[in-house]
Amino acid sequence: MRDQQVYLDYAAGAPLLPEVKTRMDEVGEGLVNGEYGNPSALYATGQRSRRLLDEARMQVALLIDAQPSEIIFTSGGTESNNTVIQAFQRQIIWTTPIEHPSILEPLRKFSRQKARFVSVDNEGRVSPKNFYRDPDPKYCPSLVSVMLANNEIGVIEPVREISMKCRSPKYKTLVHTDATQAIGKIPVDVNELKVDLLSFSAHKIGGPAGIGVLYVRKSAHVRPLLSGGDQERGRRAGTENLMLIAGLAKAAELARARLTEWDKVAGLRDQLRAEILREIPHVSCNSPKEGCLPNILNVSFEAIEGEAIQLMLDATGIAVSTGSACASSKLEPSHVIMAIRGDAEIAHGSVRFSLGLNTTESDIQKVMAVLPKIVAKLRDMSTLKAGEHDKES
Amino acid sequence: MTKNLDDQKCESEPKPFAYSEAVKEHFLNPRNFLMGDGSKYACDAKGTVGNPVCGDQMTMYLQIRDDKIQDVRWKTYGCASAIASTSALSELVKGKTLDAALAVGPKEISEFLGGLPEHKFHCSVLGHEALAAAIDNYRQNLQK
Repeated sequence: MRDQQVYLDYAAGAPLLPEVKTRMDEVGEGLVNGEYGNPSALYATGQRSRRLLDEARMQVALLIDAQPSEIIFTSGGTESNNTVIQAFQRQIIWTTPIEHPSILEPLRKFSRQKARFVSVDNEGRVSPKNFYRDPDPKYCPSLVSVMLANNEIGVIEPVREISMKCRSPKYKTLVHTDATQAIGKIPVDVNELKVDLLSFSAHKIGGPAGIGVLYVRKSAHVRPLLSGGDQERGRRAGTENLMLIAGLAKAAELARARLTEWDKVAGLRDQLRAEILREIPHVSCNSPKEGCLPNILNVSFEAIEGEAIQLMLDATGIAVSTGSACASSKLEPSHVIMAIRGDAEIAHGSVRFSLGLNTTESDIQKVMAVLPKIVAKLRDMSTLKAGEHDKES
Repeated sequence: MTKNLDDQKCESEPKPFAYSEAVKEHFLNPRNFLMGDGSKYACDAKGTVGNPVCGDQMTMYLQIRDDKIQDVRWKTYGCASAIASTSALSELVKGKTLDAALAVGPKEISEFLGGLPEHKFHCSVLGHEALAAAIDNYRQNLQK
């Protein structure tokens, strides 16, 4: 059964890499036999653990061109993002309406009145021009948080250009980017991007879930979310999870080495896009053609609903995801598709295909062998007629 | 909703499909759905409920003889549970008198499908409402 599975939901989580598992097994063995333990301890076990931690930090820093001391290990992208937003609570924060919920929800909780959402265009891109149109220092944001690439549609945001505008000596704005989707797919360099803060998690690059990173530039300070012991130099309390950290470091090392391989994935994604548009009528792309991550294709099928497409594909062993309200427990359509298309029916009919380094041409062929039939069957069943939607709008 | 131990055990087990086997079966092999153009089907009554904006819309088409549902067809725009609910309902009401068909409520549809996830229960409500709308439509036409 596993052999038949066509996994096209890498944006939700990449399978654990075998090299990462091996590395975590080694460290796990060391934790059993006393080679490793609590890195805060001064005796030999603690010192070996400290070295492991330092080496991992170095490896992770290399992936984003940071200093090791600027790397804070967290429990994942969600914690990293929450840490940033809560640190600026009740202060002015500028962000976009298409951020991940781990930005938007804490924002709602901590800074509801002070948040400003810079609008995105119909491809989901924010314009750097929209930052600092109003230079009155009274309304100057303390934090600007713009994701490096969107998780649903793959659009890459002009974070560098935004940082340059915000780095004016007149203002003291810090710039944060959520690089969770972008990391390992495109080069991510904190100095190139000129960001002060950056989040990502291990499980999107073949590392384990439950571990992530918050990069904090040396010149910046972020009030910790978790206080307690002085782990992570007092910036994130709690005993370090050596197995997960070693797994993250291995995944980071591999991600850096494999960065050039994503061109091939972009080729497969382009092939999938072309074939869907050729074989299936009344389809529109939610992912931009240019300036998109190499592995994401989000399309909307008119007159049918994404959850139904997702489950029919699942019945043939193909895993994808959808922005349909029916697939969310809150029964809300994707806020990202709503922001760029402004149409609930288009959001309900959206399907995200996200590819990985293991995706093959045969996977694309397997999708195209069933997808046109599935769409035709669901459209035959639907009360709505494909093609009529365009006329209305 | 109270849960007994069996339900909890069931929920903790990995499920290859988010829905019950019966939902899956009705979704993948829907019964009585109306193929092709709905307006060309000769029916005595039809009822539509729901809204594409909310993500679910259903139309029930009925052929009625002697106050009994002789044939029932449907079209549904929506998720797997909406499609399965309409399919199940069509099986449940075929051959029934109109009053007996109206007595088939959301609970009966959900039970027939081996239960729907809590946040999907509204799909069975919509199915029932579409049928009720069709029967209303038929009865109003009779009075004219």
